[in-house]
Amino acid sequence: MLAVDVMELSDPNVLDVLQTADGSDSESGAAQGTTIDGVFSLLPIWSRQVETSRIQTEDAIVALTARFSQIVQRIEAALNISGTGSQQTDAHAEAERSRKDLALVVDALKAIQLSRNELVDQIRTLSNYTEELHKMATEVDQIGFRTNILSLNAAIEAAHAGESGKGFAVVATEVRALSNAARDTGKQISKKVGLINDALVRIGRTNEEVAARDDQAVQASDERIRAVIARFESSTASMAAAAQQSHQESSAIKAQICESLVQLQFQDRVGQILAQVVGSMNDLSDKAANTTAGEAAQLARQHADQMMSSYTTEEQKLNHQGIETNEVGHSAVTFF
Amino acid sequence: MAKRILLVDDSASVRTVAGIALRGAGYEVVEASNGQEGLSQLNGERIHLIISDVNMPVLDGIGFLKEVKKHPNYKFTPVIMLTTEAGEDKKQEGRAAGAKAWITKPFQPAVMLEAVSKLVMA
Repeated sequence: MLAVDVMELSDPNVLDVLQTADGSDSESGAAQGTTIDGVFSLLPIWSRQVETSRIQTEDAIVALTARFSQIVQRIEAALNISGTGSQQTDAHAEAERSRKDLALVVDALKAIQLSRNELVDQIRTLSNYTEELHKMATEVDQIGFRTNILSLNAAIEAAHAGESGKGFAVVATEVRALSNAARDTGKQISKKVGLINDALVRIGRTNEEVAARDDQAVQASDERIRAVIARFESSTASMAAAAQQSHQESSAIKAQICESLVQLQFQDRVGQILAQVVGSMNDLSDKAANTTAGEAAQLARQHADQMMSSYTTEEQKLNHQGIETNEVGHSAVTFF
Repeated sequence: MAKRILLVDDSASVRTVAGIALRGAGYEVVEASNGQEGLSQLNGERIHLIISDVNMPVLDGIGFLKEVKKHPNYKFTPVIMLTTEAGEDKKQEGRAAGAKAWITKPFQPAVMLEAVSKLVMA
């Protein structure tokens, strides 16, 4: 069966080996020897194919491992830069500091407002004095009025006295002129006090309007500051949340790549199995060079024993014994 | 100061995986691709622990381990064998040569790091 398979191969090397086989044995023996030699002559070819596959796989896995390793290092660098969420705490503390600083500004505005209100209160007390001044001016006018009446009576009495009252009449006239002047002055004072009072009332009214506007402005400033801080906190919180999510995702990706790297260790195991197969085929090929057909079975048994002792993995031994296995032993530690 | 570990394995992928795990855990790692290269790294620099494969070209892990144990400066350095070899005979050979632990591949980095932290010398 094997001979037929071999004869069907079109590899020129194989055919060449088959045609140049040693013809010193009997006809059937020679044919059998030729067949065995032909089979053994395939070993170097298989060996080279397996070795090529092993090297190509190893090169690819090593390159893949190196690339994964670089990715892991880059992710690690990115994770180190992004930190672990401390920015959220920093942003919160910064917002709190800003809130306190801006509250001081609002307090300063309120203090200015308070000082101005005190000033206006003091101005308002002046209104009380103007009322007193107005009363005093009225009294001056009354005194002038009464003095005027008095001077009229004096003038009448001076006329009754005739020639002897002429001097007194002159005095009465002067007193009358003075009383009129006093009344005019009283009226002037009253008028001026009225003007001052009007001005004070206007100042009070204007201050009330300004105070109301200031109140609104301070309140609006306070509200705007709170809104700005709230927006700042909200945006920093969402940025921190996004950064944290990115950090978690990167960590998860890194963990998965590291897990993939662990899986790539199969190359070391496969490499050892294939290297053993290649070595074993080369060894068998060398031994078979001077083997007759009758010695082939013994050679195969000896070689099988040698193979068994050269295995490094459990699956090689099981495969050799004909026990199928795809299980790879789990990592285990033995302490001595 | 980081503990220094000598990692000896002919498989670049295994050195990469073990190297990432060890460096990630804060160790300094020196690499060699066979026992002979490993010996040339024992040049007076302090090595706190050695991790070595068994089946390697030029000088295998057991041969390397025996040489380490003869070295005046490194004979007390703990050695962990990290290998596909799971046979009891081979393990006992490693134990007799002076290995402190035997980890079979494929290995989980966490398992290796736990063994390292137990054995690494102060």
